[in-house]
Amino acid sequence: MTVIKTENLVKVYNSKHLPVRAVNNVSLEIEEGEFTAIVGPSGSGKTTLLNIIGGLDKPTEGKVTIADTDITGLSDSKLIDFRLKNIGFVFQAYNLIPVLTARENVNFIMLLQGRSQREMNERAEELLTQVGLSDKMDVRPNKLSGGQQQRVAVARALASHPRFILADEPTANLDSQSAMNLLDIMWKLNQEENITLVFSTHDQRVIDRARRVVTLVDGSIAKDEVREPVVPAQ
Amino acid sequence: MKTIFKISWRNVWRNKARSLVIILAIGFGLWGGIFATAFLNGVIQQMFDSGIKSHVSHIQIHHPEYDQERLTELYVDGYDEVEQFLSESDEVVAFSSRTIASGMFNTASMVSGVEVIGIDPTQEKLTTDLKAHLVEGEYFNGEFAHPVLIGKQLADKVKVDPGSRIVLTFQNMEGDITSAAFRVAGIYRTANSGIDERNVYIMRNEMEELLGSDGIVNEMAILLNHHEQSGEFREKLQQAFPDHEIRIWSEIAPELSFMTEFSGIAMLVLVIIILFAMAFGLLNTMLMTIFERTNELGVLMSVGMNKGRVFLMIMYETCFLVITGAVLGGVLGVITVMLTGSSGIDLTSLGGEVLMEYGIDTIVFPTLDRIFYLNLSLLVLVTAVAASVYPAWKALKLNPAEAVRKE
Ligand SMILES: Nc1ncnc2c1ncn2[C@@H]1O[C@H](COP(=O)(O)OP(=O)(O)OP(=O)(O)O)[C@@H](O)[C@H]1O
Ligand SMILES: [Mg+2]
Repeated sequence: MTVIKTENLVKVYNSKHLPVRAVNNVSLEIEEGEFTAIVGPSGSGKTTLLNIIGGLDKPTEGKVTIADTDITGLSDSKLIDFRLKNIGFVFQAYNLIPVLTARENVNFIMLLQGRSQREMNERAEELLTQVGLSDKMDVRPNKLSGGQQQRVAVARALASHPRFILADEPTANLDSQSAMNLLDIMWKLNQEENITLVFSTHDQRVIDRARRVVTLVDGSIAKDEVREPVVPAQ
Repeated sequence: MKTIFKISWRNVWRNKARSLVIILAIGFGLWGGIFATAFLNGVIQQMFDSGIKSHVSHIQIHHPEYDQERLTELYVDGYDEVEQFLSESDEVVAFSSRTIASGMFNTASMVSGVEVIGIDPTQEKLTTDLKAHLVEGEYFNGEFAHPVLIGKQLADKVKVDPGSRIVLTFQNMEGDITSAAFRVAGIYRTANSGIDERNVYIMRNEMEELLGSDGIVNEMAILLNHHEQSGEFREKLQQAFPDHEIRIWSEIAPELSFMTEFSGIAMLVLVIIILFAMAFGLLNTMLMTIFERTNELGVLMSVGMNKGRVFLMIMYETCFLVITGAVLGGVLGVITVMLTGSSGIDLTSLGGEVLMEYGIDTIVFPTLDRIFYLNLSLLVLVTAVAASVYPAWKALKLNPAEAVRKE
């Protein structure tokens, strides 16, 4: 099943001097269960593309269909609701609410969705255990390492049972050990639970883990290849 | 929503120093505001009470032409019926019937123009605080044969003491000049030095004797339970005695009603200034908070926190700051007003003598109505909500895509 479909996406930023075509005619289909890396040099349009796919930004031209919904036509408030129900986000930084514990951060999304207290507690524990933080559930983000914070973010992204997770450079602020660790967790989720993951990265070692690698250059797809990923050592 | 509430409350304490600064600013601002207002109110009430109690009373009855001419012949006809009516009215605390004549106050070497007022000592004692204002000598207690009470201002001017012999001269009802010797029994001092120089009090029966006529009452001053009853009771009186001129305190002494109105406006202005300062302080703090948290707010909106909830979160945060500050300032304010209100604040060392000239007593009792506190609380809340609207709206306007990018 196609989860994400973009058709001739164009995003032009009207900066003062020259208009910038940050995304240029991108048509892309991502199937359920794929583990896709969006790569490319700085300024190639990775963030812009992910933001449009995630419904955080509107394309100048073209359209984005998530599952069966054309999200390009949704109003701002509809989009917020759509994101809440369908998309899990992991950002490069500032993912967590600093005043809430790891568990409360994960619960927060489910709370916004109106889940029951029992369901929330069970799921939060299950997810935090899955990302290897069973002993850090009641700790606030400032007491967690960068890698641990990103793992909480992954757990939170999963909490809402999204159709897919978008992660914009989730490892950019991490040392390579933590980066690999996060990737392993994402890989495992993909393999074992068939979670669709789309992430952008600069990091070659991270790129090596992806099955599908979409390379952007100047806002256009330069290469789109599917290959055998480097599988993490068990 | 409970979680939003919890997040907001914790957010308030993320930047402890900044939150404390604004909370203390609000707290001390309100404290100062409450105290200043109470002080002002205390001064005004004191001036009002002393105005009412020293001479004006709540209602005065005269002959319709008395006010222009101020002649002794213009007296309240049938004053004893009025007295009867007053003694039977529940609203009336006390009244005093006075006989008044312009005259001269003579000592062996000095003369001063005065208003000679004949009073019933018992009535007057209950109606005004003439007796309480005595600073030397005694009230009419029979120590001297023909006692007169004079003001401090006059006593100093003509240099007399209790026990001094003086002579009062005025016209009797026939139009002849009459004089009689009196002894200064006591010297009073009110907040109004003009009165202290002009008014001298003798016993009404002695005055009537000198006037050569009975039943001459030029002025009836009435003290009611509360000044707010004045208008209504005047109507009643006027119906019963349509021929007399009956005026209430605000007509007799317009400065008193101006004073109460002015104090209301001054208090309002004071409160508004403080609330404005509070609103701008809050606005500044909240805008800073939002600016610093752009990223975080962007993430929250990205992951699906809707605008209503973002708005609520910012609003709660603002209200927490205000309420914490307001409770602090309110409690301090109420305690301060209670303490100083019962002990009074002595202004003597701050040039209280000068205040005396303006009719302000040197000890001020700060005081505020309950309704003031209630209104203030409401205004503070309204200000809090108003001050949170703009920052909250700013937060809503954040574009999540831009916000999460911002470093
Ligand atoms: N708000 C904006 N206004 C104008 N130009 C912008 C804006 N946001 C991004 N751009 C431009 O769009 C282009 C693509 O930016 P984008 O952030 O998507 O690249 P990226 O591949 O994510 O880069 P990086 O690897 O550095 O994160 C860049 O040239 C950037 O300068
Ligand atoms: Mg980027």
